[in-house]
Amino acid sequence: MNILVINAGSSSLKYQLYNMSDESVLAKGLVERIGMDSSILTHKPTGKQEVTEVSEILEHTTAIRKVLGMLTDAEHGVISTIHDIQAVGHRVVHGGESFKESALVNSEAKSEIRRLFDLAPLHNPASMMGIQAAETNMPGIPQVVVFDTAFHQTMPEKSYLYAIPRVLYNKYKVRRYGAHGTSHAYVSQAAAEFLNRPIEDLKIITCHIGNGASLTAVQGGKSVDTSMGMTPLEGLMMGTRSGDLDPAIVPYVMNKEELTVNEVNSMLNKHSGLLAISGVSSDMREITEGMEKGEPNSTLAFDMYEYRLRKYIGSYAAAMNGVDVIVFTAGVGENSIVLRQRVLEQLTYLGVELDEELNKIRSGDPRRISTANSKVEVLVIPTNEELVIARDTHRIVQASQLEK
Amino acid sequence: MHFKKIGVIGGGTMGQGIAEMLAAKGLDVLLVEKTPERLDYSYSMIETSLDKQLEKWGITQAEKKLILSRIQKVTHFAELSSCDMVIETIIEDLDAKKKVFEKLDEVCPSHIILASNTSTLSLTELASSTKYPERVIGMHFIHPVSKVDLVEIIRGLKTSDHTFTETKHFVEEITNKKGIMVYESPGFVTTRMITLLINEAMHLLQEGVASAEDIDDAMRIGYNFQHGPLEMADRFGLDSILAALERMFREYGELKYRPSIVLKKMVRAGQLGVKTGEGFFKYDKDGDRI
Repeated sequence: MNILVINAGSSSLKYQLYNMSDESVLAKGLVERIGMDSSILTHKPTGKQEVTEVSEILEHTTAIRKVLGMLTDAEHGVISTIHDIQAVGHRVVHGGESFKESALVNSEAKSEIRRLFDLAPLHNPASMMGIQAAETNMPGIPQVVVFDTAFHQTMPEKSYLYAIPRVLYNKYKVRRYGAHGTSHAYVSQAAAEFLNRPIEDLKIITCHIGNGASLTAVQGGKSVDTSMGMTPLEGLMMGTRSGDLDPAIVPYVMNKEELTVNEVNSMLNKHSGLLAISGVSSDMREITEGMEKGEPNSTLAFDMYEYRLRKYIGSYAAAMNGVDVIVFTAGVGENSIVLRQRVLEQLTYLGVELDEELNKIRSGDPRRISTANSKVEVLVIPTNEELVIARDTHRIVQASQLEK
Repeated sequence: MHFKKIGVIGGGTMGQGIAEMLAAKGLDVLLVEKTPERLDYSYSMIETSLDKQLEKWGITQAEKKLILSRIQKVTHFAELSSCDMVIETIIEDLDAKKKVFEKLDEVCPSHIILASNTSTLSLTELASSTKYPERVIGMHFIHPVSKVDLVEIIRGLKTSDHTFTETKHFVEEITNKKGIMVYESPGFVTTRMITLLINEAMHLLQEGVASAEDIDDAMRIGYNFQHGPLEMADRFGLDSILAALERMFREYGELKYRPSIVLKKMVRAGQLGVKTGEGFFKYDKDGDRI
């Protein structure tokens, strides 16, 4: 079965085509600047030359039509007709409380995703456009939606509720939903497989650290707590997001600086984090360079980032009364040797023993970076959200076809 | 109708605000002024406005660049033929506006909506200068355009239902503002009420009842206005307030619309408010109170 995985943003669309018989990627690519005269389609067929096409793509339906054109193109294509695609899997950011797992797209699922627009105004409408565009271009082909929040739906009330009037939860569903669920699910599962131990017996802390960053406490294979909240602003300090702060700062600053709701939102999401403290960059690589050159602001930004990450690991170890495995993943987590080192060398009280040499190895494979003596296994596992989407789609479509 | 490219005629305070807001919503804007110098000035004012938002963390450097890149400077009407809608926002002068509509009527295909940002003039009269009056409509924005989410949509006598529906869709779905429907009447709802309030504030000042500062504080703090009426007048431009009042005074013939003497005097002296650096209060180049 060939499965097309789609991740639609408001003006972009990423895709990967999987052959599920061996989980190989046949092609992947990206459409950027949807809605403009000069949209860019970058197509990378496995084993062939990358191609770029600039054309006017005004909306997602045209974008997917172009992608299908590329996939079936005589020269750059990897399949002969669009009928060689048996299912489509979509990434959807917010599944609210209604979606505890991936689901087949039908009219109820679509209206539920629409009802959730309010909670994810920037993301869910784009996903919806992707779903509709795929439906228009590939009528009758089953589609599956995979949610960033679904994995965290196992959190107990004590983790997901905020200590504010309950009426806000009852009326508006104000609660913690978390994010990066697909990634946390994938790397925790992969960690158990790597260690060859049943996930049911493990207490795992997964650290997904990229542009956005979140931690999850995974106990017995289930998410029991996660650092992102109702929105992806809560938790760790990130590239341009503040992470945790005293909520009283918001009205205080709004009043002092006469800020609107939009301005304060943009300040916390786009002008904070590493960028605000370093004054230079939101990119961990540049921050690290600055620190190595002895720049005080970059050094402070790094120290704050590391300190907050380490405190979260400590708090999740406390939440689960222990930790067996710590996993690092995503851009920074997979690549920043110095960040991992600085965090781990100060977790000796948990029994963590870092193998500095193993930590320095660069590789695209899952690997251990703790010593044989370490009481906690520390792993680096490259995440693969697209593969999870493809697998879920495969499983759900097969099950639905069996029912018929 | 797929709205993608919008023409904005006139690069004054309102034209700058409308062009900036549309570009920030992701639309391509053709901004039209009489001369390249005036265009450059308008463009630089939009840049200043974006810089202020950047300072307040409202946008990022990348977003500022993107917004500016969507605004194209144009001095020839012919270039407007590719627009999906045109919004006229030149000075409140009936003859000048009629000339603009006459030209637009020639350049733009007959299904393209031609909107005027007029606050006091008759849409029916403006439409009379065109061959297709059914596509002419009023779209009255309020300063500062990027912050005020209200638009008065004004139907002239011949404005078609289709033109109204499309305009309402444009206002609510594309610019994400609330569109209220008003029928043609000088000053509509917003201008008629706010200019009277401002005029009354000037009467109070003239009568020596309270200082400018205290009049503004009374309304700002007492009734939760963002700016007091006199500062509001400075920000709108005293010449615009005077023009609106005179227009309404003439149309309605009622004394309550008669412009205050203080206002006339200040306009004659060229103290027009923020744009000249001084009105009832003083302002720096960025439009902040000194």
